[in-house]
Amino acid sequence: MKKAVLSFLLIFTLILTGCVNTKSDVENEGSGSGDGSKPSIEILGMSSSEEDMNIVRDQLTKNGFDVKLNIQPDYGSFKAQQDAGNYDVALSSWTTVTGNPDYAVRSLFISGGDYSIMADKEIDELIDKASTETPEEYAKTYKEFEEKLVFDKAYIAPLYSSYKTQALNKDVLVPDSVRLSKSRSLAWETIDFQDEAKRESDPLVLSQTLSTLTSLDPIKGNDGSINMLNSNMYIRLVNLTDDDVVTADGSLSRNFSIADGNSEYYFLLRDDVNFAKVTDKKAEETDDLVGAEDVVFSLERAKDKNSVPDHRTYSLHEHIETAEVVTDVSELEKVQTSGGEGTVKAALEEGLDTEIAELVAEDDAADNAAGKYQVVKVTTTEPFPQVLNYLAHQSAGIVSKEQVESINTYKVEDFDVNKDIAYGDQNTVTEGDSYDNTLYASGPYILSHKNDYEAVFYKNPGYMTDTENEPNINQVNVRFIADIDSSLSALRNGETHIQYSVPENKYETVEGDSKLQLQSIPSNAVSYLLFNTEGRAVSESADLRRAVLYSINQEEIIDYYQGNKIKASSTVSPLVDTGNELKADADKVKEFLGKYQAE
Amino acid sequence: MSTHKDSLLKKFALKATSEYAQANFALVVSIALTLIFLLAGIDFSTGAIKPVFFSLFIAYAVFSIIQSFIAYQVKRDLKRDGVIRSSTRMWGYFQLLSVLVGNIFTTAFAFGLIKKKKSPQYLFTMFMLMTQFYVIAVSSLNLFKPYVANTFLMGMFLLLAIFVFQLVVLLLVIKDNGQLSKWKLSVGILLILTSLTGNLFALALGLFMLLEVFSKTPSTVAKWYAMWEKIASNMTAMLGLFFILFIFSLSICSYWTFDYGMAVDNNYGATLQMPSLAYPLGTDNFGRDVFSRIVFGARISLIVGVLSTFIPFVVGGILGAISGYYGKRTDNILMRLLDVLYAIPGILLAIVIIAAFGASTTTLVIALSVGSIPTYARTMRANVLMISNMEYVMSARALGASNLSIIFKQIVPNSMAPMIVKATLTIGGAVIATSSLSYLGLGIEPHIPEWGNILKVGSAYLESHSYLAIYPGIAIIALVLSFNFLGDGLRDALDPKLD
Repeated sequence: MKKAVLSFLLIFTLILTGCVNTKSDVENEGSGSGDGSKPSIEILGMSSSEEDMNIVRDQLTKNGFDVKLNIQPDYGSFKAQQDAGNYDVALSSWTTVTGNPDYAVRSLFISGGDYSIMADKEIDELIDKASTETPEEYAKTYKEFEEKLVFDKAYIAPLYSSYKTQALNKDVLVPDSVRLSKSRSLAWETIDFQDEAKRESDPLVLSQTLSTLTSLDPIKGNDGSINMLNSNMYIRLVNLTDDDVVTADGSLSRNFSIADGNSEYYFLLRDDVNFAKVTDKKAEETDDLVGAEDVVFSLERAKDKNSVPDHRTYSLHEHIETAEVVTDVSELEKVQTSGGEGTVKAALEEGLDTEIAELVAEDDAADNAAGKYQVVKVTTTEPFPQVLNYLAHQSAGIVSKEQVESINTYKVEDFDVNKDIAYGDQNTVTEGDSYDNTLYASGPYILSHKNDYEAVFYKNPGYMTDTENEPNINQVNVRFIADIDSSLSALRNGETHIQYSVPENKYETVEGDSKLQLQSIPSNAVSYLLFNTEGRAVSESADLRRAVLYSINQEEIIDYYQGNKIKASSTVSPLVDTGNELKADADKVKEFLGKYQAE
Repeated sequence: MSTHKDSLLKKFALKATSEYAQANFALVVSIALTLIFLLAGIDFSTGAIKPVFFSLFIAYAVFSIIQSFIAYQVKRDLKRDGVIRSSTRMWGYFQLLSVLVGNIFTTAFAFGLIKKKKSPQYLFTMFMLMTQFYVIAVSSLNLFKPYVANTFLMGMFLLLAIFVFQLVVLLLVIKDNGQLSKWKLSVGILLILTSLTGNLFALALGLFMLLEVFSKTPSTVAKWYAMWEKIASNMTAMLGLFFILFIFSLSICSYWTFDYGMAVDNNYGATLQMPSLAYPLGTDNFGRDVFSRIVFGARISLIVGVLSTFIPFVVGGILGAISGYYGKRTDNILMRLLDVLYAIPGILLAIVIIAAFGASTTTLVIALSVGSIPTYARTMRANVLMISNMEYVMSARALGASNLSIIFKQIVPNSMAPMIVKATLTIGGAVIATSSLSYLGLGIEPHIPEWGNILKVGSAYLESHSYLAIYPGIAIIALVLSFNFLGDGLRDALDPKLD
């Protein structure tokens, strides 16, 4: 019997051997570099981008690298590791909030840029050349730039560009009233309830992850904690449409015009926007018109590094040379518009009810109905059409000259954090002993007060009243919910009305919920691997960097995100169609690794 | 007189017969599982039937009905005759078939029912066979995959051969009449060799056979026999032990029968697939096989769980023994220092250690160990305090034995029992702590299969792909529960007060 069992076993095994594929049967090619010494790559990233790190790890491992992960829990620890140079590649991401390609490259890649860790003359030249060109011309220059940056020198390895998504409760809100713009932050004034009777009684409830607000002074912050808030608290000279075209709609300008030569920009201001202030935690109208004087003051301080301590956005405005009030109508008549026919005056008058009769310097004298207008002229250091995009950015928000000067009485060089309170300090709006709301808002809403749970905004009563831009809803509450899953739950149970940015793996959940609507458009956000430029093997060898570059398979990443990502070849990809594409190529990886190891 | 004895026998038969309690236990668990499969087998939103779970429900329902019949028969037999009739016992053979649908509760009950006089060897052999059977069954699920590990066939052949050998052992054990036989030496050695596959039931059985061969004092054999009998007769403890050893054996055998690549390599062509034959527990968001990941994850959970219990066991045990034996100032200093450590919450301490030294398996083990040293030291100290005053310690001291020899020869061995029980009970806690830390992103690198990591991925898909969280969750619960059951059983077996 024993023998029978044994022979049965043997036969069974033999049959199995015949029809079972082993791993070596299906693996037709060995991976990795032949000589067994695997180059090691350390990937630095945050735990929030764990998925991306895993995909890159997997792709590099399969191409014969020895991969180490350095996962940091938050941005602070990530930055500390990055500054210490403890990485070969850092998983980075960039969002071009101004919607123009110059911003997408300048601070990241130019020598000495705000976030730049590299110095390459050829790249500097290409960035500067492209900045002076018009959109038709710069496509070629940016293509050249990309080829140099990515494919030739491999300073970065692009991963993907994302969609911008938001989910809203369509039972409560009118879906069409909620805008989704490529670059612009969510505009609150257009949003409306299905039931118009609720406009006065019910607050609109939004959510955001960060509860510590960098600063409510627009020039002192440029991050996720304040972008949406400051965008709705301060009006700008121009706005971006949903697909990133510069427009005067909903901005402080009735019209704007570029003078011939691309260095002078004229803005014709509205006379129906007043500052709002907060008294007893309620919004109150001031008689102070948002006028030319405030515009000039705001732009001068935006470009001046020393106007406030800890100025975070001056590099965005470094191309502004001067901003001044124009009082002479004849000046407008003399100047021709850029590339077009007609004078600047004609361009500024387009569509106005009353033609320009007089230009006034004093805010109080402005009366558009009577033909008394205010005009501001911005001059750039060099021909730079993209300056308009920067003027549409949150950091170019208009603040009250009078109010800011009365609060910021300290000397910038002697600023003492413990003693001096700067305009826009979040402690002045946080409930408690330090509460002393001194904000003057030029935008549709004003922040009344906040705590760790939420921030409460009220409609600016003096904001374009009786126009289509007048805010619909009286009160906006912004809930601070750190965890994205929790904030999605809050949306689903009706606690909040809009969720700004929905993670890819939750699309199904949102689409399956009958009261929610998912909106999505391609965004300007790009994720990429940034190579270390100092002290690592990847810093020295372009071949090693290129080996990493060609290991990246963007198709797989898009598959992972179920098609909800877009291919990218650099940070300008969402803005300029350069035609470049990164294709994974195992043969090239081997070739470059071979070259690297032969070095 | 004899009728009086008979009636007494009948009166207490229900309580005295372990089969009756076990029959009810197996019945209740089996019915519970049947209901779970029924709920899982019907899609309530559409009213449709899910074939896999529904057929499992039917199979379990059949065995539950049989089980209730058997339980009824057993009760009737005991009430009427005071003993279980052999015709009732024959039903056990049929119930053995439930091993095929994975109902270990009715199977384990059937083992006990079939044989009237159960030696611990017999039960251990049965559990050894069951472990081996399930390891083979689970490993052979890999046959449905597009490809298997290179060593798969060799591994499976070895496992099958061992299974056949163990069947032979079963026959020998059944025939064994307690006499010293020649085969015991060779079979014992072979069994110990086969326990290299992680089937520690075989190790226990082999050691017992060797003990019988080599032991010169029958009392030693009898002592071991009594202890084993107690554990073996405790069905929940044996089931706990079974599951632990099954997982242990599977994680050792997975070196040959599972392909690690399936668990870590991303496969974007097969992301988030529902459970199927090729992917028995589905695939996760990176297209990795959750089944393989859970099997490989068991390794880390077991290693970290056992090591982070063993280290404080040794360190805390030594510190506790020293402070309990020497007393006075030594005791005061050591215990106050440990009190300081005790005051820090264990999981916080672990988080701090990991934050300081970086996440890796070694730091994880150390982080989890340090926090539980004081509790072991306290347990040991209490035992030592009690035992130091026993007569045999005094006599050893009177005979002039050195302190060290008294501690390690007299006191420590006699205070081990509570420590062992405590250890088995805390392994479960350590397994949970490992998974919790990984879940929080503080444990092992996220792509490495570890139960907490798998659960973390699943938590993001709770609504759309709930199986991603359910299966690793069940694995964690089952392992922790098993350790707790085993701990309870060991306490009953080792506690002298219960003699």
